Amino acid sequence: MTVRTAVRLDAVTKIYGRRGRGGVVALDAVTAALPHGSFTAVMGPSGSGKTTFLHCAAGLDHVTSGTSWIGDTELSGLNETQLTRLRRRRVGFVFQSFNLVPALTVRHNIALPLRLAGRRTDRRRLDGILERVGLAGKASARPAELSGGQQQRVAIARALITRPDVVFGDEPTGALDTVTAREILALLRDCVDTGGQTVVMVTHDPVAAAHADTVLFLADGRLTDRMEAPTADRVADRMTHLGAWA
Amino acid sequence: MLGYALQTLRARKAAFAGAFLALLCAAALVTACGALLETGLRGEIRTERYAATPVVVAGDQNVHHEERKGDKTKHKAKPLAERVWLPEGTAQLVADVPGVGAVVPELTFPAALVGQDPENSLGHAWSSAALTPFRVEEGGAPRADGDIVIDRGLAGRAGLAPGDRVTVQSTGDPAVYTVTGIATTPRGAPAEQSAVFFTDAEARRLAGHPGQDTVLGVFPADGVGAGQLADRVAEALAGTPARVHTGDGRGPVEFPAAEQARVRLISMGGAIGGTGLLVAVLVVAGTFALTAQQRRRELALLRAVAATPRQVRRLIGREALLVGLAAGLLGALAGLPLAGLLHDRFTALGAVPETLAPVRSPFPPAAALPATLLTAWVAARVSARRAARIRPAVALTEAAGIRRGVPLGRLIAGLAAVAGGAVLLAVLSGLRTEPAATPVTYLTVLLLCVAVALLGPLLARAAFAVLGAPLRLSRVPGHLAAHNARAHSRRLAAVITPLTLLVALTGTVVFSQTTLGDAAERQAADGVLADWTVTSEGPGVPPGAAQRLREVPGVAAVTEVVHGTVRTPGLDKYTVQGVTPDGIGATLDPGVTAGSLSRLTADGVAVSEQVADSRGLAPGDELALVFGDGTPATLTVVAVYERGLGFGDLTLAHERLAAHLDNPLADSVLVAGAEADRLTDALADLPGLAVRDGGHTAEVRATRQAANAEVAFLGMGLVLAFTAIASVNTLAMSTADRAAEFALLRRIGTTRRQVLRMLRLESLTVAATAAVLGTAICLATLTAFSSGMTGEAAPSLVPGAHLAILAAAAALAMAATAVPGRLALRAAPAN
Repeated sequence: MTVRTAVRLDAVTKIYGRRGRGGVVALDAVTAALPHGSFTAVMGPSGSGKTTFLHCAAGLDHVTSGTSWIGDTELSGLNETQLTRLRRRRVGFVFQSFNLVPALTVRHNIALPLRLAGRRTDRRRLDGILERVGLAGKASARPAELSGGQQQRVAIARALITRPDVVFGDEPTGALDTVTAREILALLRDCVDTGGQTVVMVTHDPVAAAHADTVLFLADGRLTDRMEAPTADRVADRMTHLGAWA
Repeated sequence: MLGYALQTLRARKAAFAGAFLALLCAAALVTACGALLETGLRGEIRTERYAATPVVVAGDQNVHHEERKGDKTKHKAKPLAERVWLPEGTAQLVADVPGVGAVVPELTFPAALVGQDPENSLGHAWSSAALTPFRVEEGGAPRADGDIVIDRGLAGRAGLAPGDRVTVQSTGDPAVYTVTGIATTPRGAPAEQSAVFFTDAEARRLAGHPGQDTVLGVFPADGVGAGQLADRVAEALAGTPARVHTGDGRGPVEFPAAEQARVRLISMGGAIGGTGLLVAVLVVAGTFALTAQQRRRELALLRAVAATPRQVRRLIGREALLVGLAAGLLGALAGLPLAGLLHDRFTALGAVPETLAPVRSPFPPAAALPATLLTAWVAARVSARRAARIRPAVALTEAAGIRRGVPLGRLIAGLAAVAGGAVLLAVLSGLRTEPAATPVTYLTVLLLCVAVALLGPLLARAAFAVLGAPLRLSRVPGHLAAHNARAHSRRLAAVITPLTLLVALTGTVVFSQTTLGDAAERQAADGVLADWTVTSEGPGVPPGAAQRLREVPGVAAVTEVVHGTVRTPGLDKYTVQGVTPDGIGATLDPGVTAGSLSRLTADGVAVSEQVADSRGLAPGDELALVFGDGTPATLTVVAVYERGLGFGDLTLAHERLAAHLDNPLADSVLVAGAEADRLTDALADLPGLAVRDGGHTAEVRATRQAANAEVAFLGMGLVLAFTAIASVNTLAMSTADRAAEFALLRRIGTTRRQVLRMLRLESLTVAATAAVLGTAICLATLTAFSSGMTGEAAPSLVPGAHLAILAAAAALAMAATAVPGRLALRAAPAN
């Protein structure tokens, strides 16, 4: 076990509401280690705890018990501001929707994490990233002027600008058509293959999951299964067993 | 961060329009109040009468009091209500000063031509005409004691020419004089006053202060400068109560009333502006909180993408500062014409004398801008506390993530505000003077409204729980409204607060006046036993009238009544009435609870229960006073009475008080017994007098109270208008934001009419909640106010007027939601 992990959860439990008094157990003693430079998809039926898994792994939410790490930093001991600084440096996010600040142009949205960190934006680097996500020439557009796929590209560009160790995606293709979805997934794949970054993506789409190296299956807040080198058919098959498409 | 704030503002103009408008109004209000305040502080009172007099010597118009606090002595001075006369011998002292060319003694006393406006019509000796200077333009100077010279303006108004005979009402009985001359000044007829000049002997007799002068005009000998002269005279007069005035200092000597109006302007400007700013913080914090709630997801995204809570707070603070800057600049400009308007209205109402010139300077707008910025910033900080705590995870989820509970901190703060309000209520019920109580009433209302703002979500949920049953009678819209309200109690709380404030503040402003007015009127009506009241159109009822009335067969008692104010050596101010003690039992019943008014001699004083309680007085005790003209006296308490509001804090013997008033004539004369016709006949040769029934005293009280109330309404009216704008604002904001919700309702088959009805029901429930809360706050405040001011917990809430206030608030709420609601519904349901 000398492989450095990018994201690690150790017996993480998350309970919403009060323990024992009608509280909802969203994660139940989940342990997982995602190595550097890997692409992991997290799957499971609705209510299985996928999104909570992501929140706890990314430091967006405090865990009820257990510990989680990003790289070698333990998240449980950090306060809000320290967590924010950590996310700023080491983590990027792509959400399903409402990824962008409507008031800001594409350029400013992408540069937002840098600006919040009080760092200058390297214009050449920004242009390079825009080109990489296929948005060259759209720098001055506002989110409302872009299609859904283009908005997701901006979100990916923003997630990449700080050169984070891990990019978290919460159903990043959930609101897109098949063709656009494939392009976005290819971009994420590219982050892993050429950028050496780690991508963790929550999805319910077997086709999307097939782009990952590993698929983790969650049911009722527990990790029930994992699959290496997934294909869409095998993932769909496994999901059926989990009762997702029953 | 500033750039980011600017971009958000540009993109979300609509969201900040509410705060902008509220801050703009606040800035205008503060500018206008600042202008009032500055006029009070620095307003120039131009001299008219002493225009040609380089140095004016006058009595000290202040009572002084030294207070020892530990090692420090604090020196306090308060203005006197009447003119302070110069002691005998002052003229000689001044005349002996080297460099003095001439000393011109001046007498000023009321003297009005019968049928002419008695206000500011003053008598003087012709020898002092040089002070202005008045020069005879037509005719000649008065030679005999029956001669007068009048100013050209007065001659024009009265249609008099030299040789005409006219009746003059001065300090004694009216008398007929011959106009020998018409005088004018180098600047034309005087604008602020009418002048009647008598011979020196006649003026002295009418002025009634033997050996004393009102002021001395001092002219330098050749080669002596005015400043130098003033210094020398001041040196010679050191240790005497006389004061030396030059330049702009002469105006206040001539118009002491204007000088007192300054103080009123300062306190009024401060109270209105201060209340306005507090209201602004409350409503702007509300609009910011609403804005923050509407952009929860954006803020959550920022937090997720890497903004620390502090950065979110700073962002909100800077946005607020930018909004405040724009609103402050525009509002300060808008405040300038408002200030002019306010000054004109106050002048028209008589609250500000015309002699006090409004000050136009850049200070009020310059002060309004930082005040607005501070308001915006404080409001933003208050509302940002919550916004900055948004969990970043909210951005990832589609659910709006509405927290339903009230956080513990908010609950504690809300309960603390309630407790603070209770303390203020207790304080208020112990305050016995209007200037002290009025600001506390506003503060109490505001603090209780802060409590409503903090506990709003709980109150909103409680209100909809109570009103939910009737709401659900309406199957679709009512059902929706009830459920919406339960889920969005925080949004409702945001709109309930300004409406509650509107109802409570309006009620308090209006009904604190009626509470006082009703109590005073009631006390006056109950306390006047006399059958008749004799009043005058001129300066007052002359002593001869009372004499004639006493001789009318059937008259049981005649009481001359004068009013004034006195101070204690400790500078407390009391209203005082002077009454003829003989036969007072037949004309007046102030509700004596201890002692007896029949013992009211020249050295006696009767005190109201309020005064007796606060100073611990009982019959037999001594009470030290300073009369309005600065004369100190120690009087013995002979009685304590209940009806202080109707008859003043103190009651003295008529002769004693009248001697210390500028105008010694009776305000009214009360008569018990006989018939009106007989009284009228007896007064036939005294012009300008009228016999009315005994209830007239109460009517006069009511009229005076109404004038008072109008001034209060005018000032607080601005704050109320501001509160109304803020309420509309908040309601419109919260409705306009619901386009998506309405579109969804339309998509699932709700008709436009049903959506609009749902909105109407919601607004009605909100208005009803605000009406209940506002009325409760208003009643609590008024009860405390009334038990302090009138001695009984009896607030006069006029039901009709209060219903009108509630109806107006409800109408405002309906309109403010219906219009943006319709606009929001215009979007096609598919979007």
